[in-house]
Amino acid sequence: MKKNQVIINADIEKGTINKNIYGHFAEHLGRGIYEGLWVGEESPIPNTNGIRNDVLEALKKLDIPVLRWPGGCFADEYHWKDGIGPRENRKRMVNTHWGGVVENNHFGTHEFFMLCEMLGAEPYISGNVGSGSVQEMSEWVEYMTFDGESPMANWRKENGKEKPWKLKYFGVGNENWGCGGNMTPEYYADLYRRYQTYVRNYGDNKIYRIAGGPNVDDYNWTEVLMKKAANLMDGLSVHYYVHPGGFENKGQAVDFSEAEWDVTMQKTMYMDELITRHGTIMDKYDPDKRIGMIVDEWGAWYDVEPGTNPGFLYQQNTIRDAVVAGAHFNIFHQHNDRVQMANIAQMVNVIQAMILTESDKMILTPTYHVFEMFKVHQDAQRVSLHLNIDTVKENGYSYPQVTASASKAKDGTLNISLCNLDKAVSTTLDIDLRGLEFSNVTGRILTSGEMNAKNTFENPDHVKPQAFKGFAREGSSLKVELPSKSVVVLTVR
Amino acid sequence: MSCKGCSQSVFVSNEYIQKQVEEQLELETNIVDDKVYEKRLTQCKECPSLLYDTTCAHCGCFVLFRAKLAYKTCPYPAGAKW
Repeated sequence: MKKNQVIINADIEKGTINKNIYGHFAEHLGRGIYEGLWVGEESPIPNTNGIRNDVLEALKKLDIPVLRWPGGCFADEYHWKDGIGPRENRKRMVNTHWGGVVENNHFGTHEFFMLCEMLGAEPYISGNVGSGSVQEMSEWVEYMTFDGESPMANWRKENGKEKPWKLKYFGVGNENWGCGGNMTPEYYADLYRRYQTYVRNYGDNKIYRIAGGPNVDDYNWTEVLMKKAANLMDGLSVHYYVHPGGFENKGQAVDFSEAEWDVTMQKTMYMDELITRHGTIMDKYDPDKRIGMIVDEWGAWYDVEPGTNPGFLYQQNTIRDAVVAGAHFNIFHQHNDRVQMANIAQMVNVIQAMILTESDKMILTPTYHVFEMFKVHQDAQRVSLHLNIDTVKENGYSYPQVTASASKAKDGTLNISLCNLDKAVSTTLDIDLRGLEFSNVTGRILTSGEMNAKNTFENPDHVKPQAFKGFAREGSSLKVELPSKSVVVLTVR
Repeated sequence: MSCKGCSQSVFVSNEYIQKQVEEQLELETNIVDDKVYEKRLTQCKECPSLLYDTTCAHCGCFVLFRAKLAYKTCPYPAGAKW
């Protein structure tokens, strides 16, 4: 049993934690959109206008602020005009990025906006720079947001949507260093300047333009983009995935070793360095932090489940992933001055998903529960927090045993999120709560005795949040017994 | 690092699938006999939800693998076919 210390100055506010940090990403690949979200109106699976009801109801409980679509890599070969109009007439296309899957385009622009409305989420559209034209991108924005008489607006009306949608977030391409065109930063920066020019603001719809950012630690990409186009962007994307074994052999999602746990945690904490270093470059060109860092793809990515098609990127999800998610959120919170959005990859059935489905069955993953527990931080005021924490050094890897963050909600409630990244060792945590009068503390915990505990279709509630009683008040302090591999949220009133 | 779009294909060889199935079935004890297996596969091959001649659209499994498992059923939404 180790001992760690947290000092919270609840009266020192450090700015708003943008709720968009709790954003999601749904790409046309595997069973992410089709089967996972969209089953069609004729499906025997209960649905509302084609969206399956079980998944919809579960997702609503997460208060999802923003949803990124249609990719990912898919975005840069997506031609939006194929996905509108009567579904029976929509073009069937080949999704070459994902191995030649036939895409029937039944889930298109109208269906996406309908889903966002059902979820109460802001739509975030990824536009096609890689294989699309400036005209095509420009017309998509016109189709979605123009109010009045115009060719695209008229077409939208013919397709049943009289009034335009509100669209705030628009990504000008995706991973343009790779699947989005294999570009150099200089070339993409020039293209970004050109394409974004025609992403127009119609009426009072003001678009937040997001430029395609670097591949993990490509700091030169950030430097070039900021130098050449900072004045033309509102956000710059950053993508980073945790692969325990590296990109080629990522490692198993469930049957992993203790060393793989350790490397996963070390690689999770690398997100902090990436944000810091890319942020430092952004500071050089944008010292006022006008431009948001948009971490629009993140998560733990493993080899697919044995016996499943590798192109579907279907992986299980364990308590390890819950800790990964919680630790990421604590990092994002601490960088709330720069990180303005983050979108987990992905929403359903793909990579680190919230939900797994199999026909009419559905399970919630441990990661889902972290999103639900941590939603109290959305748009809350981060407060000052100092950590004095032991470092875990195991199997050649190192990482902090505990990560934490705290925020104050509008009603004055203080929420403290704690993650014990250690797979085996619990800790006593002394939390010194300064600058706050309080009378009541409650808590919830997500943990397990096994480091690879998961939910299955046969046992869907094996890992779920429980009431947490492992703390005691001592004056203005809390003494918390934090089990190994746990995620806790304490609510202080 | 490669991007995810360049990493995997949904089209895989029969050799790949066979190797996967054999490796995984070494860990499985609850499997069906050959007669049941062949009957299940026949139904899969006639199913409209079979993708690329290998993969069930409703679970993402290679049918050569899933049909071997005694504790699994067909996930066809309108009613299990086996």
